[in-house]
Amino acid sequence: MSHVNVTTFTIVVALFILVTGVGFGAARWRRAADMMHLDEWGLGGRAFGTFITWFLLGGDLYTAYTFIAVPALVFASGSIGFFAVAYTILVFPIVLIFLPRLWSVSRVHGYVTPADFIRGRYGSRGLALASAFTGILALMPYIALQLVGIQSVLSVMGVGVSSGNTFLQDLPLFIAFLVLAIFTYVSGLRAPAMIAFIKDTLIYLFVLVAIFYLPTRLGGWSHIFSVAQSHFAATNPDTGKPFGTFVPATGSIGATRFDFGALAVGSAVALFLYPHAITGTLAAKSRNTVKRNMIYLPTYSVLLALIALFGYMAVADPVTSADIKKAGGNSQLAVPYLFQHLFPSWFTGIAFAGIIIGALVPAAIMSIAAANLFTRNIYKEFFQPDATPHLQTRVSQWASLVVKIGALLFAVELPHTFSIDLQLLGGIWILQLAPMLIGGLFTRWFHRWALLAGWFAGMIYGTIAAYNVASPTTSHWAGSSDIVFGHTIYIGLSAVIINLVISVVLTLVLRAFKVPAGIDETLPHQYTADPEPAAAPVPAGAGAGAGAGDLPAPSPD
Amino acid sequence: MTQPGSRPRNPVAAHPVTSAAIGILFAANIFFIVYVPVYGTVTPKIGSWPFFYFYLLIFMPVTSLVLWIVTQLQKRLNGAQAGPSGSAGSEGAE
Repeated sequence: MSHVNVTTFTIVVALFILVTGVGFGAARWRRAADMMHLDEWGLGGRAFGTFITWFLLGGDLYTAYTFIAVPALVFASGSIGFFAVAYTILVFPIVLIFLPRLWSVSRVHGYVTPADFIRGRYGSRGLALASAFTGILALMPYIALQLVGIQSVLSVMGVGVSSGNTFLQDLPLFIAFLVLAIFTYVSGLRAPAMIAFIKDTLIYLFVLVAIFYLPTRLGGWSHIFSVAQSHFAATNPDTGKPFGTFVPATGSIGATRFDFGALAVGSAVALFLYPHAITGTLAAKSRNTVKRNMIYLPTYSVLLALIALFGYMAVADPVTSADIKKAGGNSQLAVPYLFQHLFPSWFTGIAFAGIIIGALVPAAIMSIAAANLFTRNIYKEFFQPDATPHLQTRVSQWASLVVKIGALLFAVELPHTFSIDLQLLGGIWILQLAPMLIGGLFTRWFHRWALLAGWFAGMIYGTIAAYNVASPTTSHWAGSSDIVFGHTIYIGLSAVIINLVISVVLTLVLRAFKVPAGIDETLPHQYTADPEPAAAPVPAGAGAGAGAGDLPAPSPD
Repeated sequence: MTQPGSRPRNPVAAHPVTSAAIGILFAANIFFIVYVPVYGTVTPKIGSWPFFYFYLLIFMPVTSLVLWIVTQLQKRLNGAQAGPSGSAGSEGAE
């Protein structure tokens, strides 16, 4: 374990240095006259075309943690892990229904965050605060999990683990994160957008090579599938139940067809409620850019399906299985061990670098999204209403650093199971934004206070219910993943139903008593508008000063 | 200024067939992945691939195709909505 392969290590370091250079250089890419504006730092100038958006969103949504955790779940429990594939297919038709509307209204009013939209739609600072708080809360453990992804690669590489000193052990992670923090501070969203090109090139390269090469080493696809099928049908001596399922079952062992479908639906709806997904979307140049990406992004799901199959390859490879058993049954190491065993060391270096860089892109976008939420919907709203664009950008830059340090502490200080549990909780929390955000994109019927009450009930119910389920099985992730995973999604769905019912009932009551509903600054046609990039400066309260950095600023004041 | 002077007719009412087609395509695209009994089986095998895995892999290009058709149909709806005002012309442009 403590043996470091020099070739692998050198390639990883070289690619990391390349990415660092690109990250800093990105500040000069498509440079605007005034970079100290949130439209520039936080949204890359709102001018990314179809091609760049595809890389940015792909790099954003298909995170390194996904690349580690999905095959890990497949390795540990079989077919239920493929829910991730179903969900990333499902997400695009669902999102195509509401995301272009969010893009349009945000462009017209210069909204930077989803909470800006909530603020403008319902005229409610409290509701906007609730959504900003939820977004930040859900993003923190998500960023931490990107670090967990890096850690699992580093530990298989043998970097750092030989030392007993916790500081030295995590030193490589600290360095990686420090670099990430600084280039995000300097370049903003331009950095992950540019690095996403490198990330995707590496990941497509290693996945395509792996998918054709590895089966030849493992006796072909039919052998891989049949080994997996008999493995998951066999009885686990520890639990007395089968190890898992090879296709979603009809029985009730935590991996049924219903579990599969429910997980896919819950995750698909949640995905584009996450602020980082919305940040990636709002950076797009036009409404058509967003729509086209919903058509092209499923190509990443093909990639994810192939990556999920690595889990079965790890099952079919006796050496990898033995390595994982030796490492305490940590299935998160399935993909790193598989590559290390079957690839030449130089190619392992490329693959590992792909995963590490793949963690940096979403971590950067998530920290930018969280920082924008803090700046726009907490700092500017409650502490410094007259903050200039320059000051807002400065605050966001610092907030992105704080968010990342918080995530680093999460990853290093707390047990990984805690981050994973929190991230699953994050899924429940973020789903509670569905009524106000998705609902608000189509109707102004809901009352702001009713939505707030519904949100609160959903958050409380979801958190308590998830806590009660998770506590007896927190021992480790691999053994209980499917059960905990499944339950949290049901909780997410039931919590959002409670949320919705309360929102509807209270709206009826509040409307009956004619309680003021708040001022809606949006107009119906703005939800389908597709303004030119430069024509975005809108006087509206929340989004004042948008587009000032773009082109020959029209500034009609 | 960008607001069209006269309120255009509801595009859904103006094009019931296109609208229905869009709705059906969306619904089918969602249903055939959510309703697992359609594909949650080992057989029939396609080559050495169990049906479940083959179906998931094939469904992605199918989704891309369906969503492409949907956006083309939507363009027609919106083209009608824009009418002579031209404000929504950018929808189809580029």
